Amino acid sequence: MARPSHPQAMTPHRPAPTRTAPPTVPDDFYTKPRMLTYLLFDATGIVYLLVGFVALRVARALDSGPEAWADLMSDFAQPLYVGFHLLALVSVLFVGVRFFRLFPKAQPARLGPAKPPPRPVLHAMLYVVWIVVTIALLVVLGGVWP
Amino acid sequence: MKTLLLRLEPVIWLLFGAGIMVGTILLPGYLLTVALGGPLGLLPEGARSYERALAIASNPLGRLVLLALIALPLWKGAHHVRALAADFFGPGADVVVGSLLYAIAAVGSVAAILAVAAI
Amino acid sequence: MSDAGELQKKTFVVTRFDPDVDEVPKTQTYEVPCRPDWKVLDALNFIKDEIDPTLSHRWSCRMAVCGSCGMNVNGEPKLTCKTALSDYGDVVEVAPLSNFPVIRDLVIEMDGFMEKFRDVKPWIIRAKEKAAEEGTYRQSPEELSAYKQYSMCINCMLCYAACPVVASEPHFLGPAAIALGHRYNMDSRDEGAPERNRVFRGEGSVFYCSYANECSEVCPKNVDPAAAINQAKLNAVVDWATSFVVRRKR
Repeated sequence: MARPSHPQAMTPHRPAPTRTAPPTVPDDFYTKPRMLTYLLFDATGIVYLLVGFVALRVARALDSGPEAWADLMSDFAQPLYVGFHLLALVSVLFVGVRFFRLFPKAQPARLGPAKPPPRPVLHAMLYVVWIVVTIALLVVLGGVWP
Repeated sequence: MKTLLLRLEPVIWLLFGAGIMVGTILLPGYLLTVALGGPLGLLPEGARSYERALAIASNPLGRLVLLALIALPLWKGAHHVRALAADFFGPGADVVVGSLLYAIAAVGSVAAILAVAAI
Repeated sequence: MSDAGELQKKTFVVTRFDPDVDEVPKTQTYEVPCRPDWKVLDALNFIKDEIDPTLSHRWSCRMAVCGSCGMNVNGEPKLTCKTALSDYGDVVEVAPLSNFPVIRDLVIEMDGFMEKFRDVKPWIIRAKEKAAEEGTYRQSPEELSAYKQYSMCINCMLCYAACPVVASEPHFLGPAAIALGHRYNMDSRDEGAPERNRVFRGEGSVFYCSYANECSEVCPKNVDPAAAINQAKLNAVVDWATSFVVRRKR
């Protein structure tokens, strides 16, 4: 039926004059779909941490020379890395979609003299930037140009 | 420790913000090429060669992008895993897990700066 | 009285707790003949009036402006005066709002919320008050629109019941309090933003919020507290950064 919240959740400093029952949340508080989406969003943090450290290998391989680079490319072709990077790709897309949806309303109406564009415009702009940057990286890192 | 975390929070939040924004925008392009396309042989001839990769990474903009790709996702990761720990294990875990993860992100960021500078 | 249609029997599983008698809360089941247009509150009032006068629950305006009747209905925080029974099946579970200590039955302890409320200094703060002879503070429609949405909060506390951070971090100021502090920070007549931003960066830190957005999902008045909190984060960071540059009387 219910599971406990933090025992002091919403508890006043001065105790109530009668005994109170401790704060609770429903059993499905963390498993209902919207909450699961949010928890998954936070869980992608694990993927981001790993992606960063794996990318560090890229920089280190470039420092070390062509043999280290070849080893790295060979490692990246292994199923474990392929699976991880595919998971990372899905995670990043999921994060992007949720974050871009929530970002526009997090901008104050005014910061000094600056005003943000209308929320739908800002939302669209984020996707435009995302697509343009991705294409640019595909072109450069993909060997198309230069 | 909790007070220290509270005082550092603006900086942490800015790094997290950069991480989620810049990291998310940069990662798909990098994942499709360097992480997947190149190793799996899906890119044009010469695309995954060491010489080309080195040339791109030596370029100032290339260095910046590589640094951003390594360091910034670490802060998004640290901040969100901390939030997850706090949701499930409470304020104690929030402090311990948060401190540990931010330290890891900081170490990773320093390592990234050193590695990218050395290219 | 108009013809209200056929009565439908629904089963209500209601959380009960009497601190003088009960060790822990328990549930009690009531069969209620419901009119098709009833809200959950109508059923609760029927229970109290016709079946069990010992049931305790808060309510007042019946029209979603007073914020008194917040409860968990089938696990979701709702205003019971606004929640139609036609949206539910034969069994409806009514429990006190999540994350609050329970005084009795469906009545929760509100003082914790009032403390957080007070902490954000929800009033116009001026360095120097305008003398009455100088007239009122003038505010353009555009200036009003910067904060009006956040002034619509009815303090129903559904957002606190929905928030996973409120569930785990007792110091967190919480959605309604932060939204209200933000309302004053965005008010052109107010000069208290530095003071409030210090509170926002303090023990109750706005940065505890992890943008679950649950508060905005459950808010019955479209206040969008999640927007307020995350705007407040940016404002707090800017305030923190500028505090190193601008000497300010603390």
